[in-house]
Amino acid sequence: MPRPERKTIQLTIDGREVQAIEGTMLVDAAKQADVEIPYFCYEPKLGNPVGACRMCLVEIEGIPKLQTSCSTPVKDGMVVHTRTERVRHAQNAVVEFLLVNHPLDCPVCDKGGECPLQDITFGWGLGHSRVIEPKRHFVKPLALSPLVAIDRERCILCYRCVRFSQEISEDYQLIFTERGSHAFVATHDGHPYVAPFSGNIVELCPVGALTAQPYRFRARPWDIEGGAGVCTLCPSQCNVTFTVRDEKVMRVLARDNEGVDDGWLCDKGRFAYQAIHVDERITRPLVRDAGVLRPTSWERALEAAAGLARHRGRVGTIVGGQASNEEGLLLARLSREALGSSDIDSRGMAGSGEAGAPIPADLARVLAAPALQASVPDIEFAHTVLLLGCDPRDDAPILDLRIRKGVRRHGVRLAIATARPTALEANAKLGVRCEPGGEGRLAAALAQAIDGTVDAGAPAEIAELAQLLRDGGEDVVILYGERIGAEGAAALVRIARALRLAERDGAGLICLPAGANGRGLREAGAVPDAGPGHGELDGPAGRGCAEIAEAAATGEITALHLFGTDPVRELPDRALWRRAMRSAALVVAHASVLTEGLAEHATVVFPAESHAEKDGTVVHPDGRLQRLRIAIAHPGEVRPGWAVLAELARRCGLETGVRHAVDAFEQLVAAVPVYEGLTLEEIGGGGVRWPERPQASALAPGEPTTTGGEAPSGDGRAPDAAAASNGALRLGTYRPLWAAPECEISPSLKFLVPRQRLELSPADARRLGIDDGAEVVVAQNGTRLNATAVVRTGVQEGSAFLAQGLAADSANELTEPTIEVSAR
Amino acid sequence: MSPYDPGSVVKVIRAPAPGAVRGAYRVFGETLRGLKTTFMRVVEGPITIQYPEEKTPVYPRFRGRHKLHRFETSDPANPGLEKCVGCSLCAAACPADCIRVVAAENTPDNRVSAGERYAAVYEINLSRCIFCGYCEIACPFDAITMGHDYEMSDYTRSDLIFTKEMLLAEPIERTPLRREGE
Repeated sequence: MPRPERKTIQLTIDGREVQAIEGTMLVDAAKQADVEIPYFCYEPKLGNPVGACRMCLVEIEGIPKLQTSCSTPVKDGMVVHTRTERVRHAQNAVVEFLLVNHPLDCPVCDKGGECPLQDITFGWGLGHSRVIEPKRHFVKPLALSPLVAIDRERCILCYRCVRFSQEISEDYQLIFTERGSHAFVATHDGHPYVAPFSGNIVELCPVGALTAQPYRFRARPWDIEGGAGVCTLCPSQCNVTFTVRDEKVMRVLARDNEGVDDGWLCDKGRFAYQAIHVDERITRPLVRDAGVLRPTSWERALEAAAGLARHRGRVGTIVGGQASNEEGLLLARLSREALGSSDIDSRGMAGSGEAGAPIPADLARVLAAPALQASVPDIEFAHTVLLLGCDPRDDAPILDLRIRKGVRRHGVRLAIATARPTALEANAKLGVRCEPGGEGRLAAALAQAIDGTVDAGAPAEIAELAQLLRDGGEDVVILYGERIGAEGAAALVRIARALRLAERDGAGLICLPAGANGRGLREAGAVPDAGPGHGELDGPAGRGCAEIAEAAATGEITALHLFGTDPVRELPDRALWRRAMRSAALVVAHASVLTEGLAEHATVVFPAESHAEKDGTVVHPDGRLQRLRIAIAHPGEVRPGWAVLAELARRCGLETGVRHAVDAFEQLVAAVPVYEGLTLEEIGGGGVRWPERPQASALAPGEPTTTGGEAPSGDGRAPDAAAASNGALRLGTYRPLWAAPECEISPSLKFLVPRQRLELSPADARRLGIDDGAEVVVAQNGTRLNATAVVRTGVQEGSAFLAQGLAADSANELTEPTIEVSAR
Repeated sequence: MSPYDPGSVVKVIRAPAPGAVRGAYRVFGETLRGLKTTFMRVVEGPITIQYPEEKTPVYPRFRGRHKLHRFETSDPANPGLEKCVGCSLCAAACPADCIRVVAAENTPDNRVSAGERYAAVYEINLSRCIFCGYCEIACPFDAITMGHDYEMSDYTRSDLIFTKEMLLAEPIERTPLRREGE
């Protein structure tokens, strides 16, 4: 639904004339007028207020009893008193009451020093208590999950965590059990509270009842400093504050940015910081010496890596999703200018495996048109949101919360068109399944149904979806994954035209790239077929990831430059990549963990920076440039990425002129036309959306030349008849949120690292005689993977899904579109 | 023209010359007065304290080197738990920023203090400490108190960083306490 109109009204608080927007709560209006009203349970991000803690009582003229200001909307002409004797007495009484069962173990409590209960007791409490009865006792501390500890004695029953679980993340796990003074927060049957967003309850808790296990007793508020940064572990790029003590990140807190994250963080962003300070991390350059990677000096490592210059024209560069724009630009310059090769790719998983061909430059340019870009808040206020070939829970988890918020609070209609059932299935108004890899064809069929080229004969489901998009309101936001491929992208261009998305402010597209900074790297020119800013290339287009692997395996490419990625681990077709890396004479990698491919095949490994150490910029999927800032010093001998790349380029014969991180940024701004005139000050802490800047007109989308090939055969929904006939299942892959090296080496996230699961439909499970939870073997061409079967009702018959990016039994091992499943 | 114009002639006015007696008193009088005190004290005997063989006694509330405390037990072989829970309030109160506390969690196998947490690292940089006693006042468990020891000089600065073990150890009582009425 579109954003509501705002009407300003006038009221009086403590004798002050206050202007407020109609419908805001009294406590917020008072805050604007610098009148402080204490509260615990109120949190506007959690939706409707509950008035549970009774701390915010105020006197309103005309109402005989005291009112909770957190749940009283302002009215024109209201006269409010917050400091009368009656209010003061009530506040004293509430504090005394809340402390009846509070253990007051502040010296051992992690919240001590940053605790609202401490502050409010100090500011509004009486200072003593009349209660001499014993307090209630619970077993403490108790692990609510391996990540969160619960101390029920400290709980003041404010409902914040329960509301988060019930209304924000909608995992429905936290509840209140028992009644009255016996009430306590728990999960059903005492199960651990394991959910992708569970860490947020720690930050929400106004007392020390919920504390983070990894931060337990690590530091006190006066021991620490906050460093603002951006999490680059996924494309959501949530704004965070790193809590730093003694040059070590101790915890990560959300930094509320309405345009990006709405103040929430996923558990990966919140707890994977531990990977920065573990022994597994590489902090010295390594060079392979007699078959073994040994620590060495930077000088030797750079000298060895400068051997890339000897492979001029035969170097393939793979850029990991966490690279900053500046690093992307430097890598593209190194590859194109110094090494004479346009074989550079940052698109990762996209356009490989069962997904369609990568989105070509001309289509990417059209889809990146400033008028077509939806912002993150647009998701919340759209009429209809369509998920096309993506699952926000795994691809960009914080957008999953944004969609839930839109559906729950603003009546957004959600439509899903994916192969694999998403986490948002229950919130969707309409869902269309397609076979794995059929998203592109589904999009094409949808485009035809919308623009009316095929009026009759469209299948009912697609016609219904087309009707919802066309007639359900003008503001349509489409979130799509890069896996829709060239065909899907061409169809998307047609859909956007037919729905006139470019003409509406609140409508548009958001692409969820495979890499965290996928959009920025494309704009910086780290793709084979476009220069910086979607510009034309001087020479012919280079090879993409899959072709680089093939060329390396056949010897056409003799050296590989891997920036922040291990293709054996991350990319499809492990066997091919193993062959490619074995055949390459020189493999230069920048990495923080030695994953399989690097440990076995890398010649030189430079230690890479973490996102808390980096200085640079990244681009959010909605076009927001955000700044990474240095929160902690580089551990060990780690050097900044830009410095390593500039030095490597110099040794390969290219003087980049980058002597400082700012130089790299200035080169980026000069190279990308739509960034023109941008300064780091302008980006600041909240970022700048370039599609909103006047310079965005420098990107002329033009007409796409790629049309997506011949007319699609079928609509992508029906599984391949040939595959289904012999009992084989059509394989689809997805990248789970937790399948990342960072999670594997973070001590407290290890329990979340996924094992392979085979998701299949109930019908197929019955046919194959496989129960939910059974151990199965997935076979294909002699490759066998072990997996646990998971029967999901949303999965289409004939399809099955496996996770990729795992250390063992990963779907990356498989290359064919179908699999055989048997019980183990 | 300035309001005060002394003119070009300066006239010097001198005091009258003193006589012989008055002159002699002027030379030796004050010296003798001082010597009077000296001769009066000579009969009292020397009060010099032969430091370091002898020490100045201190008052009971003298703020010397800090001590950390344990709960008392009757069994000397089995010392009590540490009173310090590692809450770091002393570090917060310290105006010289000389206290560093790193807390850790007690486990059933390794119970160090009575609470959930204990101080895994407790260091006081005595070269920076100003002996104000705020840490003692801030401590909610009376775990840290100011002792009477004032002999803390050492040859290197790093030796002046006292660790938890040093602060917990029973100090060698080198400083006499001033007795009542002394």
